[in-house]
Amino acid sequence: MNVPTEHLLFVAAALFSIGVLGFFLRRNVIVVLMCIELMLNAANLTFLAASRAHSDAQHVNLVGPVFAIFVIAVAAAEAAVGLALIIALFRLRQTTEADSVQEMEG
Amino acid sequence: MAEVLFYALSALAILFALGVVLAKSPMLSVINLLGTFFCLSVVYLLAGFQFLAAAQVLVYAGAILVLFLFVIMLLNLGDFTAAAESGPGLLHSNASKVGVAIAVAIGLALLIASSQGVLGGEVPKSPEEGIDDMTLLAAELFGRYSLPFEAISVLLLATMVAVVVLAKRQRKAAAGGAPR
Repeated sequence: MNVPTEHLLFVAAALFSIGVLGFFLRRNVIVVLMCIELMLNAANLTFLAASRAHSDAQHVNLVGPVFAIFVIAVAAAEAAVGLALIIALFRLRQTTEADSVQEMEG
Repeated sequence: MAEVLFYALSALAILFALGVVLAKSPMLSVINLLGTFFCLSVVYLLAGFQFLAAAQVLVYAGAILVLFLFVIMLLNLGDFTAAAESGPGLLHSNASKVGVAIAVAIGLALLIASSQGVLGGEVPKSPEEGIDDMTLLAAELFGRYSLPFEAISVLLLATMVAVVVLAKRQRKAAAGGAPR
């Protein structure tokens, strides 16, 4: 694939900012979690683009893929804990809207 | 050919990502997120990362999204949250405008930073057979990165315990009747 590294980074930047947008705009906690997954994926794409930029025909750079694997594992753990919190919240309040839970707003 | 596929799939991934943010029901968001993950998986494959492409489909599409779908169906959130936030109503408050401003600022900063010409626009000459060769990757994971690898397994164990504690039904105290 003859694509410059910048274009991979552009795609990652677009995906990350769309994730940030959803994180701030949506009030459904489940969709907010999905936007976090989107941002983690954009970070993964950045890792892989950097690894690809530092690989050549003789020597491959494996730091990017290794860190992408760690990011995937952490994302799985984060999604599991987040969804368990949402289930606990729903059991307490019968809602998943972030605006209806404001005890800690001060 | 691969270049055309890359640009088409990148555009598709961004469209699906917009769909995640703009979809009315959480169910549609999950389906859009699935589209994004599949497009990204093929992008990884084109960039020379076969193992990561497979892991993306197996872990993200196979495990994490099924978890999301499971929770949405368990809590029966398919439609009743749709009325609360939708379309134009999404931008009604000042907080939303601040959010849009922050997202645009981060996007612009990332775009400018990645187009600064540090990389000179050159196309990397990566090996034909892909970058994340399984043998080399395993040697790295179990050699140089074996400590973080073990830390991940401890993290997953702790997550499992945490999820069981959080999602388990709270037991009422037998005598007092007050929830614990």
